[in-house]
Amino acid sequence: MNPAKIFLAAFLVNNIILLRYIGLCPFFGVSTRFSTSFGMGMAVVFVMMMATFVTFALYHLLLIPLNLLFLRTAVFILVIAALVQFVEMFLKKSFRALYSAMGIYLPLITTNCAILATTFLVIDYRYNLFQAMVFALGTSLGFTFVILIFSALREKLEYAPISPAFRGYAIAFIAAALVSLGFLGFIGLFGLSL
Amino acid sequence: MIRRRPSRLKYLLDGIILENPILILMIGLCPALATSLTARDGLGMGVAASFVIITSNIIISLIRKIVPDNVRIPVFIIIISTFVTIVDYTLQAYQPALYQALGVFVPLIVVNCIVLGRAEAFAYRHGVFDSFLDGLGKGLGFTLILFVMGTAREFLAGGTFFSKSVGIEFLQKNGILFMIFPPGGFLLIGLLKALVNKYVKLE
Amino acid sequence: MGDKKESPVRPLIVLGAVSVISAFLLTWVYISTSTKIEWQRGEAINSSLASVLPQAKRFEKIETVDVWVGYDGENKKVGIAFTCAPRGYGGPIGILCGVDLEKKVTGIRIASAAEGLKETPGLGAKVREADFRQQFIGKERDEIRLKSEGGKIAAITGATISSKAVTEAVREGITRYEEFLR
Repeated sequence: MNPAKIFLAAFLVNNIILLRYIGLCPFFGVSTRFSTSFGMGMAVVFVMMMATFVTFALYHLLLIPLNLLFLRTAVFILVIAALVQFVEMFLKKSFRALYSAMGIYLPLITTNCAILATTFLVIDYRYNLFQAMVFALGTSLGFTFVILIFSALREKLEYAPISPAFRGYAIAFIAAALVSLGFLGFIGLFGLSL
Repeated sequence: MIRRRPSRLKYLLDGIILENPILILMIGLCPALATSLTARDGLGMGVAASFVIITSNIIISLIRKIVPDNVRIPVFIIIISTFVTIVDYTLQAYQPALYQALGVFVPLIVVNCIVLGRAEAFAYRHGVFDSFLDGLGKGLGFTLILFVMGTAREFLAGGTFFSKSVGIEFLQKNGILFMIFPPGGFLLIGLLKALVNKYVKLE
Repeated sequence: MGDKKESPVRPLIVLGAVSVISAFLLTWVYISTSTKIEWQRGEAINSSLASVLPQAKRFEKIETVDVWVGYDGENKKVGIAFTCAPRGYGGPIGILCGVDLEKKVTGIRIASAAEGLKETPGLGAKVREADFRQQFIGKERDEIRLKSEGGKIAAITGATISSKAVTEAVREGITRYEEFLR
């Protein structure tokens, strides 16, 4: 599959939040404000790209040759957790500006299913390294795109007259239903599908 | 006023409604939407995740006194991923059809906020039996919601229950397919949440 | 501030111990279940192989690809069967396809919803129905294309994506694995 198609599929057609249902916890937790969504989005792009690269390398250079495939889950999640720790420490020391923009979201990302799911999917889809990185980029940007849209929506929702039972998460889910419905329309774009 | 220690049973019962992980605590959402397409898948996922929550709660509680604070997260992760891998391979061996249907969400149990959340918030600070009850309660609450959603979606979309038709011809021919697509899942959980908001009064 | 009392070695020991125990446990689980898992995979395939390549009396799997070669009672090659899982509308569609020595399709089997098929029930999932699958039988590679693209396979109304995915995958499979028919 050519890279443009992989990217488009990951970004829109198989959007990780709205069509794969992955990455929902941070999605609903962080998308209340545009600024927090942006920070989280940046952190996700950053971590997802690195995590995909490292786990891909580990899988092909270590797990396969040593026949340790059953350790995939454990190894991948530990790598992601460690990676996030190092990135946070590194940013704190050397790139203060960047750290203040997205640093606080980093620990939350360890349990972000989106990262782990992406590392698994690139293996299941049998991508090569380049394709895997394109997929990771598309997925993380798709994630960011959706939480940004959503934060704008939720900021507006706060001023809307909504009955008490629906306020908060309930109306957020229903709003997500509608946005997801829109995204469903992307299936079939350029011949791509779930 | 004399405060009595909360009864043990509370740990168990809370998880089911008052502190239901999905509808009250708002954690563990991903699998709730993705694996609740049918009653069987919802139940299967619920049981698999419950196994992990309960066993990791127990083990973590058992060793809580010897695990230093600064390495607790990696230790939790190792323990949890071990149990997830056990569930993974057990399903592959004994329930391959269910395993195929659940797909990538089986290994994703390792990042299910419920598991790590309870380990950190409860198991690390409570005794083994209490942790077991807490895990069981949260697991039951989680499974309940997944099963209810799975049943509802399967039923509305095609009039079936566990893939067997329930005899309502209208739904079989004109099912609301919307329900098994992502928007349907989001809508259903939104409505459930609104219901809970209205009728479940928290202290 | 009282950290000076704690040995820095202790956390490492605990971490190490937990890792080692986990590794053992995992290895044990892997070994205990691997035979059953292999058997499961074998079962799932074996029961279906005969249905897609009826002329064959026994099958032999080729080592590195998803292809089985079928032999008759006199150990003569009669055809092959291959699996593939193209992306459909809702997810991957599990397909098992049999091809005879004349490169014509002899049978085709598609995974059910219970086995993970995510196509829309009543629409895309209709690719499982006999009417659709029957079209492939007896056709050669170049005829296996949707009618709208010059071939002989009629797509299911309202389920073009699912129909196309199956059609393309079967044709590509024949192309990719025809070497095993010689």
